Amino acid sequence: MSKRIIGKDFKKVDARDKVTGKALYTRDIYFDDMLYMKVKRAPFPHAYLRKLNTDKAESLAGVVKIITAEDYPDLNKYGLIYKDQPVLIGIGEKMHYMGDPLAIVIAETEETAKRACELIEVEVEELEVVTDPLQALKKDAPVIHEELSGLLTDRLDKKLNPANILCDHYLEKGNVEEGFARADKIFEREYKTQHIDQLPLQSEAGVGLYDEDTGTVKIWAATQWLHDTQADVAQSLGLPKEKIRIIQPTIGGAFGKKEDISVHIHLALAILATKRPVKFSYTRKGSMITQSKRHPLIIRHKTGVANDGFLTAWQTEVIGDVGAYASSSPAVVHKGLYHCTGPYNVANVRGVSYAVYTNNTFTGAMRGFGTAQMAFSYDSQMDLMAAELGIDPAHFRLQNAYEIGSSTPNGQILTRSVNVRKTIKEVLAMTEGGK
Amino acid sequence: MKKRGQGMATIMFGFGYGEGFPDHSIVSIEFEDESLLIRTAAADVGQGVLTVITQIAAEILKIDPDLIKISQGDTHLTKNSGSTSATRQTFFTGNAVKQAAEELLGKIYHYASLEFRSNHPELIVKDGHIFRHDDPENKLSYWQLAEIVSQKGEELKSEASFFPATDAPDAATGQADNVYVAYTFMTQKVEVEVDTVTGEVEVIEVNTAMDLGKAINPRNVEGQIEGGTVQGIGMALMEDQVIQNGITLNPDLTGYLVPTAMDSPHFKTSLIENEDADGPFGAKGVGEPSMIAAAPAVANAIHDAIGVRFYELPITPDKIKKALKDKIF
Repeated sequence: MSKRIIGKDFKKVDARDKVTGKALYTRDIYFDDMLYMKVKRAPFPHAYLRKLNTDKAESLAGVVKIITAEDYPDLNKYGLIYKDQPVLIGIGEKMHYMGDPLAIVIAETEETAKRACELIEVEVEELEVVTDPLQALKKDAPVIHEELSGLLTDRLDKKLNPANILCDHYLEKGNVEEGFARADKIFEREYKTQHIDQLPLQSEAGVGLYDEDTGTVKIWAATQWLHDTQADVAQSLGLPKEKIRIIQPTIGGAFGKKEDISVHIHLALAILATKRPVKFSYTRKGSMITQSKRHPLIIRHKTGVANDGFLTAWQTEVIGDVGAYASSSPAVVHKGLYHCTGPYNVANVRGVSYAVYTNNTFTGAMRGFGTAQMAFSYDSQMDLMAAELGIDPAHFRLQNAYEIGSSTPNGQILTRSVNVRKTIKEVLAMTEGGK
Repeated sequence: MKKRGQGMATIMFGFGYGEGFPDHSIVSIEFEDESLLIRTAAADVGQGVLTVITQIAAEILKIDPDLIKISQGDTHLTKNSGSTSATRQTFFTGNAVKQAAEELLGKIYHYASLEFRSNHPELIVKDGHIFRHDDPENKLSYWQLAEIVSQKGEELKSEASFFPATDAPDAATGQADNVYVAYTFMTQKVEVEVDTVTGEVEVIEVNTAMDLGKAINPRNVEGQIEGGTVQGIGMALMEDQVIQNGITLNPDLTGYLVPTAMDSPHFKTSLIENEDADGPFGAKGVGEPSMIAAAPAVANAIHDAIGVRFYELPITPDKIKKALKDKIF
């Protein structure tokens, strides 16, 4: 059936407002009597907070209020999947990375709030910093979080240090030993990827107010999942969900960075404490240091292939740098693992992945969610195998690519919409025409 | 010397949360003044979900898309649409809108058939109106019909939830029958030019074929592929947030390099539309798969150009110069 609108280059419905400047982004929203806030962050990536003196900051003209953990002792930790991130670090508690919040400063202007942050005096007891997940996995590594993760399985390798592991995942399909025994060539390689910032044009910002009539905190902040953010803010503050209302302004890009809580809880606290409208904007620098990154992954592949060009076994180990807090890590690292063979048929697969805490900025969601790093590794692996076997790389891919009935590393049988071979043939047709 | 090379990569991406997590989107549609209001909390981060659902509703309900309004996302006025992540909005919210629109269309036929003392096969909907095929002049607009329905104490509106189930993988083996709702596939072949003196890599041309079921909006899909590929080129060649001993050394756009329009290659894109997936009109998600082939394709092309394989990203000019030096001694 022919369609009138589906499949057509229909103009984006929000294009006109964005191009003409009519679209309202968070920072475009103003209220009378609005206050501004900033957060004082950790001065050291791994340390106990010993003293926090806000006297000088409080005496600065224009400072309205400073909030520390002492003022709200009952706040709950937050996080997208596993709630391990504190709202404010209290005296005697530990900071785990440079973005950890020590105090919320509310002032008449943004500049005053910033200057007041600089006047807050902090004393810490420095601890050894762990930035390499391989070091964190060792038995003698400094422990980052005192509490053992609730996500660990009983399969976890006893040689590793469970204290610094957030979660472990496994793949076991067919029989890899038999698969490697049938291989004519075996390739073992290690791949490494880097920390990447999602870098949406718009960095984190929120503005909000207290609605006296309903006793509701109303927040305008760009977020990728309104209802999840609402739930996390509410549980963290110990309020009913209905008392937290989040409204979506026009979003200036996200790429995964706006899945996590950023301004929301601190902003809600400032609003509740002052009962006045408050605006909170991150700088680019603040955004880069405090909010999530793409995971650096260490990926080790061992792949077996027969001389006829068919893959016989695929074994993968993944070590992901979680940084200081879980964020999306309990989903990202093993999603990478689950895509370890790419779209290629392998009957025998074994895999393991570890998400490992460090004192780096926490890692979370970013477009690709672990599979971008994995694709770099598996399709480099495919390319080097093709070269070693003397097979054309396109034909090597074509020969091994999925079709209807193929089984993924998870053992999911693909029953429909598997046209990967067609994509290879199509690209060959597109490029051969230009030769 | 400048050396050219070609490289390809073929990728897959299982989309939606999958793995047994409850994943759904709720949408409602109602008539309001002169327009049709779609309520959804789906976040449009620039990818175009609001455009896609406008197209879907307009297609099903046969109305002018300019008459469609979409409510602002608001936890107190819209129901959960799930996150804009996991390449899921066209599939999940798209399907929810399609279901809600179909339910509303069914109600339009039902109530109109009472007014026209007729039955469905004798009725036609066109441009936001419904009429008997043998009496096209005597027509009711949807808004007139909504008014008639409300006078009966009933409402001409609909709500739908798209909520497919997936299976949690076994903890010990990762095995399960239905881990992700569907998979998107893509192949990219790129041509690069490597400057062996400066170590700089320029991506010249990118050819892409994507298996996406159906492009609801082909230009938006091409935008996703081009933007995603440039993001992947950034990952391959330059982006690196350096954190040393817990301290971020380059927390600004002077020290953190990201591709600009000047780094953007020439694109040729082919969309493979078999309309064979469970998304609206056979569509699959494209957001994330569009970015993940670029890094391996560029790495493979660099190998083709200079004979060096890199196992660590990003492949910076320094690494290339060092590798070429090591190769010659």
